[in-house]
Amino acid sequence: MSAASPVAPRVDAPRWPALVPIFLVALPVALRLTGLDIANAWIIFGLLFGLMLTGMPISISLGLTVLSYLFFMTTVPVQSVALKLFSGIEKFEIMAIPFFILAGNFLTHGGVAKRMINFASSMVGHWHGGLGLAGVLACALFAAVSGSSPATVVAIGSILLPAMIKQGFPARFGAGVITTSGALGILIPPSIVMVMYGVATNTSIGALFIAGIIPGIVLATMLGLTTWWRARKYDYPRQPRATWIERWRAFRESVWGLLLVVVVIGGIYTGIFTPTEAAAMSAVYAFLVAVFVYKDMPLAKVPKVLLDAASMSAMLLYIITNAVMFSYLMTAENIPQELTAWMIDKGLGPIAFLLVVNLVLLLAGNVMEPSSIVLIMAPIMFPVAIKLGIDPIHFGILMTVNMEVGMCHPPVGLNLYVASGITKMGITELTIAVWPWLVTMLAFLLIVTYWAPMSTWLPKTLGMM
Amino acid sequence: MKVLDHLEEWLIAFLMGAATLLIFVAVVHRYAAGMSIPVVQDALLRIDLSWAQELCIYMFIWMAKFGAAYGVRTGIHVGVDVMINRLPPRLHKSYVLFGLLAGALFTGIVGTLGASFTWDIGHTDTTTPDLEMPKWIAYLCIPLGSFLMCFRFLQVAWTFNRTGELPHHDVAHVEGIEAVDLNPYMAPGLHPAPARDKP
Repeated sequence: MSAASPVAPRVDAPRWPALVPIFLVALPVALRLTGLDIANAWIIFGLLFGLMLTGMPISISLGLTVLSYLFFMTTVPVQSVALKLFSGIEKFEIMAIPFFILAGNFLTHGGVAKRMINFASSMVGHWHGGLGLAGVLACALFAAVSGSSPATVVAIGSILLPAMIKQGFPARFGAGVITTSGALGILIPPSIVMVMYGVATNTSIGALFIAGIIPGIVLATMLGLTTWWRARKYDYPRQPRATWIERWRAFRESVWGLLLVVVVIGGIYTGIFTPTEAAAMSAVYAFLVAVFVYKDMPLAKVPKVLLDAASMSAMLLYIITNAVMFSYLMTAENIPQELTAWMIDKGLGPIAFLLVVNLVLLLAGNVMEPSSIVLIMAPIMFPVAIKLGIDPIHFGILMTVNMEVGMCHPPVGLNLYVASGITKMGITELTIAVWPWLVTMLAFLLIVTYWAPMSTWLPKTLGMM
Repeated sequence: MKVLDHLEEWLIAFLMGAATLLIFVAVVHRYAAGMSIPVVQDALLRIDLSWAQELCIYMFIWMAKFGAAYGVRTGIHVGVDVMINRLPPRLHKSYVLFGLLAGALFTGIVGTLGASFTWDIGHTDTTTPDLEMPKWIAYLCIPLGSFLMCFRFLQVAWTFNRTGELPHHDVAHVEGIEAVDLNPYMAPGLHPAPARDKP
């Protein structure tokens, strides 16, 4: 924690930033009171960002914005807010989130990652990059069973990084590979961020999952190439080539984990399960594998895993409830429609719009974690995107990739934080460590943004959209 | 107090596990009932599990409300701390307190609204569609959870005001490394720092 601590304490730090939140809230209101006809959107966003900057939980600032706006500016009864707190998450699709978190927790503690790393390194370890390349592949495999990026970094990084350093890789190289490859966790299905997007915009979660497969493989390949190129340049250690018998044995060991990919993706694609049911099945399956097949997790640890998963899901569900109220307010005030009209009025085409979207999302990635960004931004940007003829699935993948980038750079990068916990490296040093892969990811973001077929081809071919 | 803490933890962990099992059983049942095994199929068809989805949703909503309260105590709720962590200690402290009290205010208001709302529903005979359980029982989680959360915010604010300590999450143990805080949502940049200098 100490390595990752934010700014040093300063008694003589400037005091003026303290006025920013007050200014943000007060200015639009004051302008309105002086009779100026400013859009309601300014008041709402002034209030929201003002409250957020005070450091209160994002969920609370969303809720308070809605509550105070309804109370002071409209005649809508505030009682409806309390009801929304219940009905807002009364959807079975949302419940995929707790299930995927639980499954991820079982997989992380259950020895699945270790066997996937063995399998990956027996397949690609003899090339340039050795264990680093194996790390990329292992992250991609683990991403296909886990819905979260930081969980992927924890699961793969905590085992692979110490091994890499022991073999003579520089700590920076290992940390860079794992931090960025871990981001594959939310692009390769299943993905919690995609569930959030699907819920916020009423897009098919199954189709989003399928759409993530090809971009996921492409990004994994690009990260792998970057790793290979750097390892060749600096001549990092390689593994001895594994025989096919060894590979088969590693595959047999890891097959229990790999089968989960089939359960989730196959189950959703063939329509055997809904995404939520698939998530519940994978949680039970992961539990069985961790406790009874691999026996890496004692039964006594289960309550702790349940509690951790429950508290993390509750936090996310609480943001979702409040974000649902917020987007309800946005719709009631016609803000997305006004934004669309303004965009079209200014003659902004899809190309310029997507550029703006990317910039806004990358900026937001500097102060917020992904779920909040998706839940706040998607309902606003989505109607504009549809009006401009952008495919909803493509837009979802684009947002997901943006979130991935945000996770790998400071100040809020969740992956960086986890990696710093494992490697004991400071955030600044890690930032330098990740740049070659981060640049690769930005290039990939550009491709995803302007080449829609990469995201939409597979679901279209499979008839899911 | 300790009893309440344990009750809270026990409740949310139980709801998490039970909901998972419930959906698992419901799905297995759906497919097992489709297989034509003579006696078993008849027996399975007689069990109706159509209420499972609804129950699962209610369990998770309850888990979300109480888990959110537990989250206040463990400090898992994420925020934006870019500005306040760069302020001089005294201002920093007032902003953290403001944030905590705003949390208490919001949850307090919502709890009150929820209570009156649940009370009204309790005097009608509306039931939930599948379970046919009185609706007010399901809605009860709003007042209960919100008031508990309000109490937790006040508790944390009180402690912070006296000691400058903010709750911090337990460290996680993952094989291969010693105890490190690996809960990503505890990343710096998402939480106000504890008070640094005595103002």
